[in-house]
Amino acid sequence: MFRIALRSLIDKKLRFALTTLVVVIGVMFVVGSFTLTDSLRSTFAGLAQDIAKGADLTVRVDQSFGGDFERATVPEAVAGQVAGVEGVDRVRPEVAALNVFIVDGDGEPIRPPGPPALGFSFNPGSFFVTQGRQPAGPGEFAADNVTAASNDLRIGESYQINGPLDAEPFELVGLFNFGSPDSHTGLGQTMAAFELEEAQRFFGMEDGYQAVGVLASAGAEVSEVQARLEAVLGDEYRVITQEVEAAEQEEDFNQVVDIFNTVLLVFAFIAVFVSAFIINNTFQIIVGQRVREIGLWRAVGATPRQVSRSVITESAIVGALSTVIGIGLGLALALVLRAVLEVIGFPLPPGPLTLQFRTVVLAAVVGLGVTMVSSIAPAIRARRISPVAALSQDFQLGATGLRRRLITGGAVFAAGVVSLAAGMTAGMDTAPTFVLLGVGAVLAFVGMNIVSPVFARPAASALGRPLKAAFGVPGRLGRDNAARNPRRTASTAGALLIGLALMGLAAVVGESIKKTFDNILDNAVEADYFIQSSATGFGPPPGFPARVADEIEALDEIESVMRIQWAFSGLSVEGEPRDIVAADMSLADDHFDGQVSSGDMAAGDPRTALALHSDSAESLGVGVGDTVEATFPDNQTETLTVVAIFEDAAIYGNWLIDGALWDRHFNRNDLAFASARIAGLSDAASGVEQAALLEQSRAAVNDVIDRYPTVKVENQAEFRQTQESQLTAFIRVIQVLIGLSFVIALIGIINTLSLSVFERIHEIGLLRSVGMTRKQLRRSIYWEALIVAVFGGLLGVAVGTVFGVATTLALPESFVQVVAVPWLDLVVFVAISAVAGLLAAILPAVRAGRMNILDAIAHE
Amino acid sequence: MTSSPTQALAVAARAVAASKIYGSGDTEVRALDAIDVAFDQGRFTAIMGPSGSGKSTLMHCMAGLDTVTSGQVIIGDTDLTTLSERDLTLLRRDSVGFVFQAYNLVPTLTAIENITLPMDLAGAKGDTEWVDEVVGATGLADRVKHRPNELSGGQQQRVAVARALAGKPQIIFADEPTGNVDSNTAAEILGFMRSAVDQMGQTIVMVTHDPVAASYADRVVFLVDGKIVDELEDPTPQGIRDHMTQLGA
Repeated sequence: MFRIALRSLIDKKLRFALTTLVVVIGVMFVVGSFTLTDSLRSTFAGLAQDIAKGADLTVRVDQSFGGDFERATVPEAVAGQVAGVEGVDRVRPEVAALNVFIVDGDGEPIRPPGPPALGFSFNPGSFFVTQGRQPAGPGEFAADNVTAASNDLRIGESYQINGPLDAEPFELVGLFNFGSPDSHTGLGQTMAAFELEEAQRFFGMEDGYQAVGVLASAGAEVSEVQARLEAVLGDEYRVITQEVEAAEQEEDFNQVVDIFNTVLLVFAFIAVFVSAFIINNTFQIIVGQRVREIGLWRAVGATPRQVSRSVITESAIVGALSTVIGIGLGLALALVLRAVLEVIGFPLPPGPLTLQFRTVVLAAVVGLGVTMVSSIAPAIRARRISPVAALSQDFQLGATGLRRRLITGGAVFAAGVVSLAAGMTAGMDTAPTFVLLGVGAVLAFVGMNIVSPVFARPAASALGRPLKAAFGVPGRLGRDNAARNPRRTASTAGALLIGLALMGLAAVVGESIKKTFDNILDNAVEADYFIQSSATGFGPPPGFPARVADEIEALDEIESVMRIQWAFSGLSVEGEPRDIVAADMSLADDHFDGQVSSGDMAAGDPRTALALHSDSAESLGVGVGDTVEATFPDNQTETLTVVAIFEDAAIYGNWLIDGALWDRHFNRNDLAFASARIAGLSDAASGVEQAALLEQSRAAVNDVIDRYPTVKVENQAEFRQTQESQLTAFIRVIQVLIGLSFVIALIGIINTLSLSVFERIHEIGLLRSVGMTRKQLRRSIYWEALIVAVFGGLLGVAVGTVFGVATTLALPESFVQVVAVPWLDLVVFVAISAVAGLLAAILPAVRAGRMNILDAIAHE
Repeated sequence: MTSSPTQALAVAARAVAASKIYGSGDTEVRALDAIDVAFDQGRFTAIMGPSGSGKSTLMHCMAGLDTVTSGQVIIGDTDLTTLSERDLTLLRRDSVGFVFQAYNLVPTLTAIENITLPMDLAGAKGDTEWVDEVVGATGLADRVKHRPNELSGGQQQRVAVARALAGKPQIIFADEPTGNVDSNTAAEILGFMRSAVDQMGQTIVMVTHDPVAASYADRVVFLVDGKIVDELEDPTPQGIRDHMTQLGA
């Protein structure tokens, strides 16, 4: 049977190649993502060790939750205490800050497109000067070699640097490598280093250090020094060895790698899933075409078992070959991804690709497993073929009854929807949630695939009607051929369906978020100007100097400025970290209407006031006037009083505190966002007067902004436009990535069409002999493809819309409030799938046209 | 549409020194060896010969399904050897009718749609009265809305002959049209073809190896090794058998 399986593959080279290619794509994604992320991990491990080498021990405040930049500082006095401990040779106190942007000679801020722009105190332990000297006092800085070289920064020149508080000119006095004296180990971040005290002043961190590096005296046992330090400093501080420091750094890096890995694996999963449809489809068709041949084997004595084994063997060969090729191409993909990362601003230190045994096993599971599982149903079908099939002229394989299809498919689909619903309501960010969602989606798609042949015939007939009317015989034949085998049509369309459903889902959710945002802008926004970083791109915009807000506030044309800062895990209540927003609560209600339902944001002492979204208030069971015990990342606990409960979380999130409270617990001084109101605008009597106020205030604000190249100001209309276009761009990127599954679906259509053309060779010969031109023949195949693709497109868009609406309804109200369906986008998606179908038809159509008529007629 | 005596003498199609050579050198095979043959209008001609004699090749070349290596093939006034692939297709559609051994019909189309297929491909309305007459002659008027798999083998072949007739082609080529059916069905099909010649004045050329089938023709042409070796007018099955025995087939 092995030889028969092999022969059957060799005989149909194109089919073999296409099927293999489909599996290869899935394997390639799996191997590529694991190889790349494994390589990243080992690179980062090395980097983390380099970074940790700067000190024997590091002293930091022990932090129970929150980010590195939110950690409490080590006071100067404590640093002095450390220096006095026996066995400590020297201490190296250090500070660091986010969002320290160097402005280049052309007045453009240097913005790493993804990694942060960082400011440091110059630490001789990990910064190695290669040119010039280290910064020694006020008004001096040093930059890393890579940033300096790629932005043409020159020693001796003065550059403006936008820090957390203000923008100031500094003279570049030296260039350095980070991590090792020989080469700069950076990940694309820009690094500006200052003399320690200057850094503290510039970052606004005069009262302490983020960490204190400890160099042990020669001959002192590091572990003994550590024990002594721990005894002196107590529980409040951690004394960390080089190894632990490296491990913690590595941990931080790996969190980023994990996100990256997850994203890649999602695509791999989609690719593998779509491939499974196509493989199943291909083997079904192959078995269907070989009915007579299989009947003949049975007639000459092959057992049903041998028959099904030959089908499985064939799939195993395809699977094994795909796995091997997929591993090779996966390694190539990892290299390509690494190059892409470098181009978009994440240069990775060169290192060998790591192909772990685990990756190879996974590749085999995906390549062999998916192929063989997908061929089980066709193999079972094959073993049911009776020897009579060899004798009968048009033996048809028994197809599953439509009623049974509706019932089983409906049940599977319903199970999927239930699982999806359970996943959506189970709360976000938990592993079981994602399992429920994933299983739900797979079940829903499989159910859809079982049911869809029921609609395939009527749908193909209906879609083909205009074709038949407009395009005569080719249109008619295209329609008939699409309707001829509903299973095949549905299953080919199924491959397209998956991609389109996901694109539709993203479109509906995105549109709903956009509409929600529109409503917020229409209803909630009271401020006139919005000040934020001029950086474009995805993710939260970086912070900007707080001084900008002060200067705008000082303008006569401006009535008030509200400053907004925020932090993930900014405080902890009942042991759970919460994301917080800090704003001037006395102004909050005037700048954005948060829909306060009870209490007053401006009431109470700003140093202990807390405003809550109604969801959070409800889950904690608190109301206005109640108190909440909140712990901050600096380990301080405060009793906060709830002053207001609001309904709209779009601007203020769920937990809102005042800037005064923020300042007491956070070292971060840069602003995330600010809004301003024009003085006298609401009192302005006439439109002319208003226009004049708008113009004057804009000019005044622009004067300020012009001095800060990293900041921009927008009025309401501009603000809305930027927000919308950023959201749209984000959704488009996701859709394009999902669209990759189109490529696989395309191969599926080529495969199916080639096979169905092959099945009709005799018929095509007949048509050609009675006068069908090549053009007419090609057209009939184009129309067939078009119908199948549009059918898949419509199903996909329909499923996607249902999923999208369900997701939107399940998402928290603080995120989306309106369900909106982007009809135009959906129409475009169907059009895209139609075009994809036509493209896929080119190869089979041209091949059909070139077929020799006599051979075709002779073919049975 | 009955033939006049003058038309009966005109030639519907002919081959002039037509050769078809496969391969070259030692492996050269002369499927057709400088054949000269003419098929008169309004007559039913059978081509016979042993396997490998070139009878199917002759028919394919005459019908524009295949091309000759040298010589000429002429249908009406048109020299097929000068036509492009597209013009050949159009010629088949408009001027030639076909009946094959089996699977003559497009399975997704009904009987009547199969009959009007060449006209539909041309985008022409066709002569509906004539189509009705042809359908009437098949005796299948009440079954024309059926698909091929709902018809018997003989009915399917009659639909195939009707399709060939419907476009009023200059000539119909039939390749073993009864090769795959029992003798009763064969008689049914051959009777229909005979009446198409007698009643409608159609020209038919049929390749067959069956003396009984050939006896329905007005004339039998015998082929051996790519050459015409003999012919017989108004044949009987026995006369054909005798000739074939003489030819050593």
